[in-house]
Formats: sequence, C-alpha cells, structure tokens
Amino acid sequence: MIKRLLPFLALLILFVVLSVASPSFLTAQNLSSVVRQTAVFNILALGMTLIIISSGIDLSVGSIVALGGLAGTMAMAKGVPIPIGVLIGIATGLLCGFINGILITQLRIIPFIVTLGMMGVLRGFALIISDGMPVHDVPKGFQFLGEGTVFGFPFVLLVLIVCAVIVHFILEHTRLGRYVFAIGSNPDAAIYAGIPVNFHTVAIYALCGGLSGLAGLIEASRLSTGQPTAGQGYELQAIAAVVIGGGSLRGGEGTVIGTLVGGFIMGLLANGSDLLGINPYVQQALIGAMIIVFVAVDELRKRKSYS
Amino acid sequence: MLLEMKGVEKRFGGMTALRQGDLEVRAGEVHLLMGENGAGKSTMMKIIAGMQKRDGGQFLWQGKSVDFSNPKEAAQVGIAMVHQESLLAPHLSVAENIFLGREIPGPFGTVNRRKMLAEATRLIAQYGFRLQADWMVGRLSPAGKQLVEICRAIQNGTSLLIFDEPTSSLSEAETHEVFRIVRDLRERGTGVIYITHRMEELRSVGDKVTILRDGATVHSEALASLTRDRMIQYMVGREVNAIYRRDPLPPGAPLLEVTGLSTKALLRHVSLTIRAGEIVGLGGLMGSGRSELCRAIFGLDPVETGSVTVCGKRVSLRNPREAVAAGVALIPEDRQRTGLARELPIAWNVTMANLEAVSPGGVIRHAEEARATQKAIDRLRIRCENGQQRAGRLSGGNQQKVVISKWVNRGARVFLFDEPTRGIDVGAKVEVFEVMDQLAREGAAILMVSSELPELLQVADRILVMSQGHMVGELPRGCSQEDIMRLATVPPASGETLQ
Repeated sequence: MIKRLLPFLALLILFVVLSVASPSFLTAQNLSSVVRQTAVFNILALGMTLIIISSGIDLSVGSIVALGGLAGTMAMAKGVPIPIGVLIGIATGLLCGFINGILITQLRIIPFIVTLGMMGVLRGFALIISDGMPVHDVPKGFQFLGEGTVFGFPFVLLVLIVCAVIVHFILEHTRLGRYVFAIGSNPDAAIYAGIPVNFHTVAIYALCGGLSGLAGLIEASRLSTGQPTAGQGYELQAIAAVVIGGGSLRGGEGTVIGTLVGGFIMGLLANGSDLLGINPYVQQALIGAMIIVFVAVDELRKRKSYS
Repeated sequence: MLLEMKGVEKRFGGMTALRQGDLEVRAGEVHLLMGENGAGKSTMMKIIAGMQKRDGGQFLWQGKSVDFSNPKEAAQVGIAMVHQESLLAPHLSVAENIFLGREIPGPFGTVNRRKMLAEATRLIAQYGFRLQADWMVGRLSPAGKQLVEICRAIQNGTSLLIFDEPTSSLSEAETHEVFRIVRDLRERGTGVIYITHRMEELRSVGDKVTILRDGATVHSEALASLTRDRMIQYMVGREVNAIYRRDPLPPGAPLLEVTGLSTKALLRHVSLTIRAGEIVGLGGLMGSGRSELCRAIFGLDPVETGSVTVCGKRVSLRNPREAVAAGVALIPEDRQRTGLARELPIAWNVTMANLEAVSPGGVIRHAEEARATQKAIDRLRIRCENGQQRAGRLSGGNQQKVVISKWVNRGARVFLFDEPTRGIDVGAKVEVFEVMDQLAREGAAILMVSSELPELLQVADRILVMSQGHMVGELPRGCSQEDIMRLATVPPASGETLQ
C-alpha cells in the first residue's frame, strides 16, 4: 500500500493547499458541488477500472452516458414511473456494454477499435432517436438523483459509494474480479488455465455499460433534460482517473480506491482552478500535464522495484 | 589481451547483480561464460557491450580503461553482441535489420536500399546461411532470426563478439552452423565470449571457461582440464548429483489415449497411449511436431481427424477449457508468455486453474486460498517469501514450480510437460524431475517433451520419437542418444511408423 501512497498524498496536499488558498473551498456548498460534478465520471471510472485491469479500454462510455440518459428520460416523459425509467437507462447501458463485449470476443477485434466504432454508433443512435433535440419533459422528482440531499450529503455521493463498494468487492473478493486480473496480466496464461475468458470479458464490458447508463441518468438528472450530446469526452476523463490512481493500460493493475482518488484529484484541480480564478484554458493544460506527471512518477517507481 | 575486467560491480537499486566480476579474454580465444540464472553473466555482458554502466571495478579494453555509455561506443571499438531474445524489427527485411542504425546512406539523406541488399546478400553467402536479404524478419523462425542477429553482429571489423545463449532456439544443424562461425571467427583472431547452459555442446568450441556464481567470478580454467562435475560444482557452489535416475513403476490403467490425430498444419495420424504412473519422453528435432502434439491434445490447435481419450472419456479438443475439465494439464514451453501471470501473486497463479474450489458462489474465500497455496508451496518446495509475492520475482526453477502447482492444485491426471527445464538452473532441474516422479507415483500420466536428450534418457520410462509430424518410433529405457537421433532424422516414410 505504501507504494501507492503518491496519489493519496497528492490529493491530501491539493486539499490542504486549496483550503489555505481559497476561503470558499472548505465550505459545504463547494465540497458538495465538487462531489456532484465529479460523480458522473467517477462512476464511469469505476467501470473503466475493471476494463483497464483486464488490459482493455472502453471509449464508448461517453456515448452510453447520452444514450442511457436519453432512454431513461424519454421513458419518463412518456409517463413511466421514475424508478422504472432509471432501470431502463441502466439496462440500455448494460445492453450497449454487452454488445461491446460480444464484438470484442467474437470478432476478435481489439477493444480500442470496437469501442471507438461504438462511440460513434451509439452517439449517432442517440441523435437519431431524439432527433437531435433534448428531452425536457422530465418529472420533477427525477432531479433528486443528481441534486438531492440525504442527511446533508449529496445523494450522488451515496450512489457513488455504493457503486464503489460493489466494484471493489467484485475486484478483490470474487472469481470474476480475479479473472479480470488474470486476463489482464497474461491473457494466454488465462486461456491455458481453462478460464472462460470470453464470458468474463463480456461480463465486465456489460457491467461497465450498466454503470455508464447510471452515470447518464445522473447527468440527465443534473441537467433535468435528456441530452443526445451529453457525456462527450467523458471517456477520457474516466481513463485519466484510473491511470492517475495507479491503473496500468498494460493490464493487471488497478484499484477502486486508487481510481476514486484519481477522480477526486481531477475534480479538485478543476474546482481549485475555478476558485483561484485560473483561466479555463490554462486549466485544461494543467490537468493534462498532471496526468503525465502522475503516470511518469508511477513508472519510475515500478522501474526501480523491478530491476 | 583483448579484454580485462577486475572486480566489476553493478547494483540495481538495493540489489547487487554483480559484485566481483573478473574476466580475461584474449584475441582468437573462445571463452565460455557459465553460471546459473541470476549469477550475473548477462549483467557482465551488458557492461561490456555498453548497454549498462558499471558501478565499480576495472574494465580494460586492449590495455586501456574504458567506460562505454551506450552500445554504439562499444561497437566503435569492435565489440558486438548477439542477443538471446531477438532484438529485431519484425516488419523490416533481413537486410534492413542487418544495417539497422547504420544504414548505408544514399543521396539527400535517403537510404541506399540496393547497396544494403547487395551487402547483406554477400554477407549471408559468405557464411552460407539459409536466408535471403529481402525476406521479412517477422516471418522467420526463431532460428532464422538468430542468424540475422549474428549477421548484424559480425558485419564490420568486430574484434570481440558476445553470444548470449545463441543455440537455445536452434536445431541441431543450425547449432553446428553457429559453431562453424565461431571457429571461423577464432581463426581470424576475433575474441568470442559465449554464454551457454548446455554443457554437452561446449567441448567442441570452447578454449577457456569462466564461471560466475551469485554475482562473482568463482573460477576460470582451460576447458580441456575442467570436468563436467567440477563445472557444475563451481556453478552451484556445492556438490550436486546432476545425474538423476528414476525408478520406473509398474504402469497402471491407460489415462491418455491418442488415436490417429492429425492437424492441418503438421501432425499426421499420431497415436500414443500413456498409463498411470508412466513418464513417457517425446523426442525429435525442432519442428517435428512435439509441441504441436501437446497443443492439439490440450485443445489449442484445431484438429482435423483423430480422437483423444482421457481417463476413459473422450475429449472434444475444441478448447483448453474442456481439456482442463477432463484432467489434462499443459506446462508450456514458453513459461513467461503462456504459463505464468508474472505480475500476479504466487497464490493467484496457484489457484488460477481451480478457483472454483475456493470460491463457492463466486466469492473467493481468502483463507482457503491461502491454505491451498501454502500446501502447494510446501509440496513443491517453492522457495519464496510468501504466497503474496509476485510470481515474476522468483527464479526460473521456482516459477516453473508455480506453473506446475497450478495443475497439482487442480488435481490434473495427465500432464504434458513441454521443455520443462528450459531456462532453469542445474539444481532446479533435478527438483523438477523429482516433482514429475512424485506426480507419476501418485498415479498421473506424464508426457515429457525435451530437446535435451540426456534428460529424456534420465527421466523417461520409454521414449517416443517424432519426425515431420509423424510418430516414427518408440525406444525403451536404456537406449542411447544416438538411437534417438537416428530415429528423429529418419524421414517418416521409410521409418517404422507406429500406427
């Protein structure tokens, strides 16, 4: 655990620095807005963690955010009860992820290409079914998902924690999670060991899709509209969170806690730059540079411990 | 004196790879460098070839102290190295690879392809290699790649050439070709350093031997006066009974029955039967179909005709999952690529093929997993800190034991060992044999593929021989290496076929 200290330390330092530098940082209002802003791509990053550990990638999660949000809000606009609408959104994401998994395992095309293609297909599909128009007819109660408060905490924080605990449990304590590591660390050895590699690959893409559908609903709830253009570029945010948190694109490495820390580092960087009045153009460059710095330091550490 | 090293040291972080590296090489001398894995041979050679810088000690080249900071500097004074693992660009041609990094220039910063092709062709012809300058390197066999590496190294006025286990992937004929080159180089006054594990092949080429152990040079002597036993003793640091002998058991019921197995690629009506308690050796040349037979039985390669029966039940041969479920285990030739998940803990490797046993309902019971792992560690005497250590950190022999333990933990009945001692220390080899013996005693049926004929003769109860995809004969225990080679080189049409 010590070796993974860097992201924690960075998060802590960032937190302390921002508390000192800006009086408006350490307020309930600001912190809960950070949580709400980061919830969507943090949930995406949870699914991405599973996939990256299996040495895959999913570039279509941003498009699934749009499609899941749309499917849910369109159903609710037609009068479907809110919980059912939420389930429809999640199921839509699950189906999209399932298709990703099937294409990857059956056509034997690498995940990068399959999900790059699906990113376009699903985005196009979202635009087609909505005719490019946002869905405004959303019931009022639906806003609770993204904006509601429970015991003074943002409801989305609760959702995030529940998802994180589930994904953590899957990774560390179930056969599925163990196979994710095995497939990512050495896919040939996994096949040679008789592991049903295809089945488990499809399972994790479906799981990631389902989480992306949920993230899409949260996004729609926060905007109180279903937007066919929602979630653009979120896939990269999610990947960045995983990587900053110690996940390796070569597979076999990554943790849920690391990913969450990575997600919050990105959230705080954005929030802190806002509070300190840093030009948003500079913000982009800053966050980009941070990704490289974190991964470079992690690589150095690994090189040291290996040779 | 071409090269002189005294007390050379090299550390990586907290680990010392080399603490007392001494070596003297003369011009026109073939100097063998021996030692177990991790003894520091490769580190020493990388320092000589300019791939790594030393942390201490003396390094004299033709009497002058040198300190190369990259391979190019070493190449400029005439030092070149043939690497064990191919460091070639697969998408470039043989000629382009030979001249990689020192392309013959054409006008306006271009590359003179025609001249490179001609030069490469001349070089290949000079050594009589079966290569063509315009072939794509990615399509070559491991042996072909090795030859390209050699061409690359010897092309320009080299005065010291280092071979890092050049013959580990070569066939008999190609090995002789390499030896011929080495002798040729020696006659021209080139110094040669030759790293190898195979002791039998040394006698014909070497002049002098230097032996390393635990990062230090422990002995240096003329090859002619050094016996094999003493050599092993220096390498291991204690007396080792390198001659392993197994007492065969009365065989039990047939566990593996292969009938008329053919694949599109290579295998032609291969049949064999292995009984419980038997260790059957499988000999043959490179490319004779030994590994392919293991792969086909394990469901990795598509099968055209034939059947495989395991423990009396027919196996479908469609994928490894069904083979594993039937009780077949494959310990693959390429441990790093297909056997071991190096970054994962030992425990995870041990339980990988039988995770269901410790995860009822899909949830892993960590305590049960730890127990299963400890049992495997004790039983196979895997030397490690604990079950949570990364498997890739272990020595080659212990890595191999982890791969084997995966199948022991699964309770497999039929074991296919494909080159089980490749890249393993002398001491650990015997331990692997003992594990095989133990498995056989517990009623497993074992097929052992090996290119090391003495190993086959020591371990196997009987030896099957393949040639060009056919099973060409069977030899009893106590046959000679020559018997095996004679069968292995017979074209299958005129050989006695076992069908």
